[in-house]
Amino acid sequence: MPVGYLLLRLSEGIEAAAVELFRLRTLELLVNTGLLVASVSATALAIGVFQAWFIFRTKLPGAPGFAVLATAPLAIPSYVLALGYISIFPWFSGFWASWLILSLATAPYVFLAVSAALMRSDVAGEEVARSLGLTGWAVFWKVTWPQIRTSATASTLLVALYVLAEFGAIAILRYDTFTRAIYNAYRSSFDRTAAAALAVILVVLAILILLLERRFRGGYVALGPSNAKRLRQPTKLMPAIVLTLGLVGFLAAVLPLVALGNRTLIGRSEFEFSVLLEALSNSALVSVAASLLIALFGLATAIWLVFHRQRLVMILEATIWSNHALPALVVGLSLVYFGANVTGLLYQSIWLLLIGYLILFLPNALAAMSTPLSQVPASLTEVSRSLGKSYQQILRRVVMPIASPGLLAAIALAMLTVIKELPATLLLRPTGIETLATRMWQATEDLAYSQAAPYALALVIIAGLPALALNASVRRTYSEVNQK
Amino acid sequence: MQIRLVSALLASSLALGLTGCTPADDSALVIYAGRSESLIQPLIDKYSEETGIEVEVRYAGSAELAAQLLEEGANTPADVFLAQDAGALGAVSKAGLLKNLNTGILELVDQRYRARNGTWVGVSGRVRVLNYNPSKVSDLPESVLDLAKPQYKGRVGIAPSNASFQAFVTAMRFVEGEAATLEWLKAMKVNGVIYEKNSAILEAVESGQVDMGLINHYYWYARAKEVGTENMTSRLTQFASNDVGNLRNVAGVGVTSSDPKAEAFVRYLLSAPAQQYFVEQTFEYPLIKGVQPYEGLTSLSDIPVPDFDLNDLDALEQTLDLIRQAGLL
Repeated sequence: MPVGYLLLRLSEGIEAAAVELFRLRTLELLVNTGLLVASVSATALAIGVFQAWFIFRTKLPGAPGFAVLATAPLAIPSYVLALGYISIFPWFSGFWASWLILSLATAPYVFLAVSAALMRSDVAGEEVARSLGLTGWAVFWKVTWPQIRTSATASTLLVALYVLAEFGAIAILRYDTFTRAIYNAYRSSFDRTAAAALAVILVVLAILILLLERRFRGGYVALGPSNAKRLRQPTKLMPAIVLTLGLVGFLAAVLPLVALGNRTLIGRSEFEFSVLLEALSNSALVSVAASLLIALFGLATAIWLVFHRQRLVMILEATIWSNHALPALVVGLSLVYFGANVTGLLYQSIWLLLIGYLILFLPNALAAMSTPLSQVPASLTEVSRSLGKSYQQILRRVVMPIASPGLLAAIALAMLTVIKELPATLLLRPTGIETLATRMWQATEDLAYSQAAPYALALVIIAGLPALALNASVRRTYSEVNQK
Repeated sequence: MQIRLVSALLASSLALGLTGCTPADDSALVIYAGRSESLIQPLIDKYSEETGIEVEVRYAGSAELAAQLLEEGANTPADVFLAQDAGALGAVSKAGLLKNLNTGILELVDQRYRARNGTWVGVSGRVRVLNYNPSKVSDLPESVLDLAKPQYKGRVGIAPSNASFQAFVTAMRFVEGEAATLEWLKAMKVNGVIYEKNSAILEAVESGQVDMGLINHYYWYARAKEVGTENMTSRLTQFASNDVGNLRNVAGVGVTSSDPKAEAFVRYLLSAPAQQYFVEQTFEYPLIKGVQPYEGLTSLSDIPVPDFDLNDLDALEQTLDLIRQAGLL
């Protein structure tokens, strides 16, 4: 509906929009955005596959530690990562800076997908190839790559979508892509058609990547539990590899966090703890409210799905679409238009912000909630039904006891994701409500990095790390389900 | 049963939690402020403290808030619009969204610094300056137009999304003409380094990331007070006489509702203590008689400005068009 409004808005000023679309500036943005999306995707792919291969297929000392390190960037919102860097190197900006930050931030997505594929894939082929005298590289290209190609490609396309929608890091690093241009057009122009026109291009680009992604998704060949441990090969390059993996981890997590810690210490004399506390409580309040709302809608849908299992796949499919095709900035923008013109009551109220979060995060939460619910054996619900129990009784006595831990995890995850959200919050927050993310953003706009650092650290500690831990447990349940 | 209970609990806690952060009960004065929070919030706090009136402030860019007011029309929750420059006020006034101010209020301020139609009034004055790093700049430009020359490539910090920069471009359109302005902007696409705000430019010039930048004068003084004038790396300079780069502008205020508290707030901003606050805390020029500017500042009427009426700044839309045509937005 809000997106519909975006289009409506556009159609009112169709001429202006057309002019906007065919300006040189749009082409420049297209080139900038394309360059970043392509280079980050390629780099994230290379890093992720490299990490996964050496961590899961070689005799790497401390492999579990490196696996944790490889996922660590997931705990750090990319704009926090950017802040960490620019606070040490004030000149750190533009294309290369954005490329580095986003590559580091997105590599874990490839790493996770490829690791899972490596664990799943049949190792017999690799063993045979090795016994026939192929070198490590040849084994990788001829035997392993074909097995992990699907997950690698699909996760890389997800990285591409992520980069396309990224706003905070790119704006902090001052590289001109669609998202930054949309935000600036919105912010400094009386005629908001320009922002709407650029937003529509962004959505179209996202849908194009999504179509590509669909062609590659699915089609995994799961060949039973494999014995990956057996296959760990020694390699002569081990010191270099340990060094490289360590360096990536250092750049992606250690360095920025140390920098932010240091900045926090530097700025502590001017630091107002009460402002941080207020932002913290606003963040908490907003995210609790949003996650309750998400839980309410999510649970209702998910429970309904338990009794209509055949719809499950279809709905999940649809939600994945809506989730990725709508960058947060576009959702925020369309809700501003919608709120200001259609629903005067909601406008600038906390509710509009909550609706924004609902649109953005319900799909994820629904997917996470469906997993524990689908783990409830169908036979149990069927038996209960045959014993004449009502839906309510079945829910209470059978479904909930089995599914509730997973459901709670999903809701908690949604809450933590809300805390980290920046662009939609920036556009939709009600007057006078500042959260950790928006406070950090404002300080960064002033280049006041010492002021921004405490908020950034708070975000990592309060939202990032718990989300990473929860995510790991959610992923575990996922893979257990997949193995059944 | 249990589920119903749980959902009832969820719903009630949701409702409870939200009343806590639902903004703007009707008695509060709602201000849309296009100025930075650190500069203006202390004054607003003081006002709240003295009068007991609750104030809600929405901070954003002046143009963003002007656009928001235009979009909201008569439904706006705002009572007062406090803008970074006369242009944003003019544009909102043009759309008929500002109420006429009491002549008693208007006459506190020289007519050069208020609306011809009496809908807004300046509260503090500021001047555009060139901020530069003396160890890196030996070729100071005579005119702001000189910054388009190849020798300044990649050396000039600008903030095209900032209202003060946009107001200066509007003035340039009037003084130098549309074509020359567009040409200048296109050159700045090459010569300029883009920042979001004046304060960011100053920070960048101070830390040596960029050689010079176009800012408002008071950012430099605020920083000098914070770190000590002797510790400032960068300097300020004006352009040659009558150069549009020396634009004199005001931050001003207009009233968007008939709530009497709104006009009372405007009167407060033009009271001696508030004007003194601008002098001492934000280093802007006071606009009422009897309050002296910060020591060391050239008096506002001695700034070598071109002949330009601030009321003409309301033609902001065309300015934004040009800035966008040049690819700076």
